[in-house]
Amino acid sequence: MHELSLAIEIGRLAEEKLGATAPRCVAVGVDVGTESGVEPSALGFCLESVFSDPPWRGARAVLSCPPGDVFQVTWLEVEDDDGPND
Amino acid sequence: MTVRTIEVRERVMARNDALAAQVRERLAAHGIWAMNLMSSPGAGKTTLLERTLAELGEPLDIAVVAGDCQTQNDADRLAAHTGRLVHAVVTGGACHLDALQVFDAIEHLDLDATRLLIVENVGNLVCPASWDLGETTRVVLFSVTEGEDKPLKYPKMFEKADWVVLTKTDLLPYVPFDADRAVRYCLQVNPNVRFLFVSATTGDGLAEWFDFLRRSVAPLARV
Repeated sequence: MHELSLAIEIGRLAEEKLGATAPRCVAVGVDVGTESGVEPSALGFCLESVFSDPPWRGARAVLSCPPGDVFQVTWLEVEDDDGPND
Repeated sequence: MTVRTIEVRERVMARNDALAAQVRERLAAHGIWAMNLMSSPGAGKTTLLERTLAELGEPLDIAVVAGDCQTQNDADRLAAHTGRLVHAVVTGGACHLDALQVFDAIEHLDLDATRLLIVENVGNLVCPASWDLGETTRVVLFSVTEGEDKPLKYPKMFEKADWVVLTKTDLLPYVPFDADRAVRYCLQVNPNVRFLFVSATTGDGLAEWFDFLRRSVAPLARV
């Protein structure tokens, strides 16, 4: 449950960064420090669940485990619609 | 379709910590000393609070926010010992309280008539350690019916504690719990932590616990 609440918070934070006119997010990068007190495999499992629901449509979580207690969303990978080709 | 990367680099706990800072500021403005009371399930948080409210609920103007996973049983138990408000927060299965829940809960309290706020966290030695609630101090209850190596197994909880209260000390003759070793393990992960020893059943050590609360609240007395 701890990791699920963190996953939900990651989803909220990412949505906030994407803004109101959200492009499609295909991946979310998260640093989970080895001393952060967060279990990466459990977090990954929970993120998979969070990202299976709208508005995520199957975004991937990409977890890195650097040393230290860092726990942050590092980047979002998004797909922009280039519009119809002429 | 064009794929691009948006740099974020934002701490996951940033929003919680910002809310905790607001809670802390609000409580400080009212001269309220706030305790985040944590432990594993069954370590005796509610029983200790029952004794505390019966003795000091009125004299120290204590208000309680009682967190629980699925019921408000603890809040109901505590409310029987005080005429003061006990606010229940049911987390709906979540394993810890967060700052937003406390931020919302204190809206229901009469802060002008409160000097000591006790937040009874959800019973869990892992998750609550990561969430700042805006408290003044962190107290961890550690019962003698647990293994004395809990501080080594759950170091973050004990690292962040200001006080460790060993509870159920009346059971020491009957359980294979080495209190000296437990204290040593606590100090190993947190050399600055301080200790109290209580039995809410026999009353042993409660005088020291009550003195600790009186001393903590006194400097914040309003002018």
